[in-house]
Amino acid sequence: MSDRINAAKVIAKRKIFETIINPGFYIVQTIGLLLGYFLITRFVQSIDSSGFNFQLNPVYDLIGRSLEGALGATFIDKLFSEGPFLFALYVSFIPAFLYLSVSSVFKFGLEKKIGALELITYGPADGTSYFMGSFARDVLITVLYILVLVVFFGIAAALNNLVLGPMFLYSLVLIFFISLAIYAYGILASVLTDNAASSIALFLGALIFFLIIMFGSFTIVSGYVRNLSNVIAWIIKWLSPFFYWDLGLRAVESGNSLFFLLSLFLLLLLSGIILLISHLTLNARGVRS
Amino acid sequence: MIQTKNLSKLYGNFKAVDRVDLNIPAGEIYGFLGPNGAGKTSTIMMILGIIKPSDGEIFLFNEKYTPNRLDLRKRIGVVPEKHPTGMWTWMTGFEYMAMFAEFFGLKNSKERIKHLLSQVDLLEVGNKKIAEFSRGMLQKLSIVRALLHDPDILFLDEPISGLDPIGIKQIRDLILAENREGRTIFISSHLLSEMEKICHRVAIIFRGRLMAEDKMSALLAKLAKDREIHIDLESIPSQLSDQIKTFPFVLDSMEQDNTLIIKVSKEGDYRKPISEYLIKKNLIPLRIEEKSLSLEEAFVTITRDNVQMFTGFPLSEGGKQ
Amino acid sequence: MKKVLILLLFLIVLAAIYADVPVRKEQFIYSVMAFNGKDYAGTFAGEDSDAIYLIANVDNFISARKTFVYFWPITADWKTDTSALNQAFEGTLELKGKNIEPQTISAMKYTYFNVRGEYELNWKVAKGEEADKAWEHYQSLVDAYWKASSEHRQSQMVFEMMMNELTKQITRLREGGKDISELLEKLKGLKSPEPPQPPKDYIMPPGPVQKAFILNLPVGEYRIRFIYEDGSVMEGSDRKVVVFEKRRSEGIGFEVIPGDKWTRPVESKTPSSVLYVDGTTDLYLRPFFQIEFNDLFYEKMRKNDSKGNPNLMKWVRIQQVPKARIEISDSSGKSGWIMEEPFYVEQIKGSALGYKIVPYDPEGVHKDRDPSLKAFYIPIQEGASVIRLRVQDKNGLDLSGSSRQIRVVSEPRFKILLLLLSLLPLVVLAVVWTRRSRKYTP
Repeated sequence: MSDRINAAKVIAKRKIFETIINPGFYIVQTIGLLLGYFLITRFVQSIDSSGFNFQLNPVYDLIGRSLEGALGATFIDKLFSEGPFLFALYVSFIPAFLYLSVSSVFKFGLEKKIGALELITYGPADGTSYFMGSFARDVLITVLYILVLVVFFGIAAALNNLVLGPMFLYSLVLIFFISLAIYAYGILASVLTDNAASSIALFLGALIFFLIIMFGSFTIVSGYVRNLSNVIAWIIKWLSPFFYWDLGLRAVESGNSLFFLLSLFLLLLLSGIILLISHLTLNARGVRS
Repeated sequence: MIQTKNLSKLYGNFKAVDRVDLNIPAGEIYGFLGPNGAGKTSTIMMILGIIKPSDGEIFLFNEKYTPNRLDLRKRIGVVPEKHPTGMWTWMTGFEYMAMFAEFFGLKNSKERIKHLLSQVDLLEVGNKKIAEFSRGMLQKLSIVRALLHDPDILFLDEPISGLDPIGIKQIRDLILAENREGRTIFISSHLLSEMEKICHRVAIIFRGRLMAEDKMSALLAKLAKDREIHIDLESIPSQLSDQIKTFPFVLDSMEQDNTLIIKVSKEGDYRKPISEYLIKKNLIPLRIEEKSLSLEEAFVTITRDNVQMFTGFPLSEGGKQ
Repeated sequence: MKKVLILLLFLIVLAAIYADVPVRKEQFIYSVMAFNGKDYAGTFAGEDSDAIYLIANVDNFISARKTFVYFWPITADWKTDTSALNQAFEGTLELKGKNIEPQTISAMKYTYFNVRGEYELNWKVAKGEEADKAWEHYQSLVDAYWKASSEHRQSQMVFEMMMNELTKQITRLREGGKDISELLEKLKGLKSPEPPQPPKDYIMPPGPVQKAFILNLPVGEYRIRFIYEDGSVMEGSDRKVVVFEKRRSEGIGFEVIPGDKWTRPVESKTPSSVLYVDGTTDLYLRPFFQIEFNDLFYEKMRKNDSKGNPNLMKWVRIQQVPKARIEISDSSGKSGWIMEEPFYVEQIKGSALGYKIVPYDPEGVHKDRDPSLKAFYIPIQEGASVIRLRVQDKNGLDLSGSSRQIRVVSEPRFKILLLLLSLLPLVVLAVVWTRRSRKYTP
């Protein structure tokens, strides 16, 4: 066991180092922060004597109308009720998150294909050590990026007399935990497939599927479609990280700390189960493509 | 040291490896031969724990081996056929070696890394990124990487494939040196002439079944039907070849430039009577050499012609026997 | 090929034209008068509607009708044309649910009204005989009022005639140089008759008595269908009834009236939300009680064909917080209590146009006028950054969910600094690359 942990640590260390010397991570961070900067400054420009009004700025007008059309006015009210940071957090987080998850899945697939994974397993490591190392890299880099976002948004808030807001802080925790589950799905997709392209296709396909299921019940739809989507969603939701994320957001909204903690626990449990399935699958399928 | 019992691998209905029994004692250089698709890689992968056997058992260091025995894996060094550095090209040679040293939990590995790199002339380029390494350098790096944790068994899959003659010699010397230190070496290669130079014993696998396994000399002797005596002369008089054929032990005779090639049966040494005959005819042999069957020839013999001899029944199409 | 294209184009144009034409269709509908937490509002569930949404444990009124239903593209919703056809069906309503025995509900007479009290909402529903009584009582009050008004008009006429007569006499005497003091005293003693007050008991009086199926159900999902008097089931009358309840009621919302846009107030409903303003004008606030409902259910209850978000909860404004007081504190920690005050909106004379909100002065300039608004005045001083609010009720108890922050934000500040900060990862990348290439360059 200690050999496995040691191997996972070594892999994680090298992967983190690789990420740090790679321009990709810095570029997506910059993209994320620039998006955040853009949203915060435009938010300030959308404030008049009666408060925030998204129609005052063309960018927010476009965003506001789109979101309002898809998710309703109540959604917009809640999204911007504490300021721009909740929306900016998700928008800024997505590029780096997609980069981390997709690059992990891609590398896993590629390393399996070219035999690098096999090479590692010739020593005191196995496929599980590898994916745990990869998972640890994703988690630690995510923490690092979340810290960068907190510092950036904190400075932006202080300079512009804005507040980050409790929803922002709860969402920080939630996006970290949902990331764990999504990274775990990335590993499972890599384990189930034989090459990088199919791993990414399966991973993104699963994410899109979960999103469709969630938005199917989330978006404004007619009763018939909603009911149908609810039935499907009820079955799939237990597998979807977005379900627990939604659960967490609802818990925060209703001020129910216990439910919030429960949603975090369930996300953790889901991640653990997916990693366990990945471990068993990898054991059964082997590290060879 | 390495033992397999009844080792088999099925892919659907296809028998990739069929009841292979290997027994490799400590300190041996063992060659594992077979054409593509013979089941060679599947056998090695099962021994290394990369794929699961459908049947049979594997014993390493006299202990039953399963892929979960990471403790046993630690005592093995593996040089795969393709050096998969593709994902680590951003590392330097030193960083690459250091990563594997950490895998094995080696303390103060710096000196050992330097020592191993110097053995294959890579010390000078240790600070270069792997991306800048040539194929030969990568192969050497792969071998020293496999030796890093001082394994008891070294598995080498096509270790000299694609190397230049100097590189081949360096690797060959390294393998022999490692073996002299007591390391058991398992080599799989298609370069049979090199295997002949290195291996103590070889095994030949064909269509999933182990066709032959013996000491190099014994295997060749067992396979050889006849031998050739090559005699270089200043010039070859006409009809000499036909006259030679009159000897009872001579099966055939032919001329090739100034070399007389005489085929004789495999029992006995016929060089003396032939040379005496030539001297009587005032012909001075400039060189007399008895040529036995090469490993390459033996390999071809076993896999094409002598299947029935080894298995007791003829080989049908598709390997179904 | 050309002909096919022309035909295709023609069909597309035809489809587009017909797509825009509102469809007017005779339909069976359920006419719904549902209580929405604040008052009663009507909607209808037509043929295309699969469910009716109602709030739990309150009386809701449903009737089965035949009418014309059409789509009105201007407001993009479905409407009924009851002026052309409004046929009520006689029969019963069958109600089924998981946790209840199947029921047959008969139509019942009803009326509803909101009586005046300390709070705005004091809704009462009168059913059966009570409905008739409530309506009759209200009618009697109205009749009495009309009678009193008629008498008042008579008295007013008499009063005005007497005034005119006296005025004429005084004029005549004054012109004749005679003493008018006695007549003047008489004139001063004349008092205009007091006009009668309309019935004050109601904020919303009872309407004429109607007949409907009254549904007052606990939370759950039910099914209804209409049964004719002969016992047959009306085809297409089967509907689901979704009965829902509030999630929370511990929320205080604010109506925010900016000094420069008093006719366009906004609402701050989400507790813990921050009200960002640009600081150009003072604010006038009005706290109100609110209740939280599922967005989709609530919207569909209000208007059956509307859309909503099933995964979101929305706060719904119910009624003003009576006799409240608000504590305001600024960033320096200074705090104080403010009370609701009346204000008057004065038009600015001259070319500047516009208006200004000033304190209401009933004894002075605003005598005989009603205040334009009653609200809590929040001065937004120049340089103020944060103002914190919380509301207490008449008993001095903090109202949960009433805390708010008002933050004054004008132009984005330190834009360049923030922009540079967002580019910082690229600087770090340059440093990392430089260090690494320096380390490993042979």
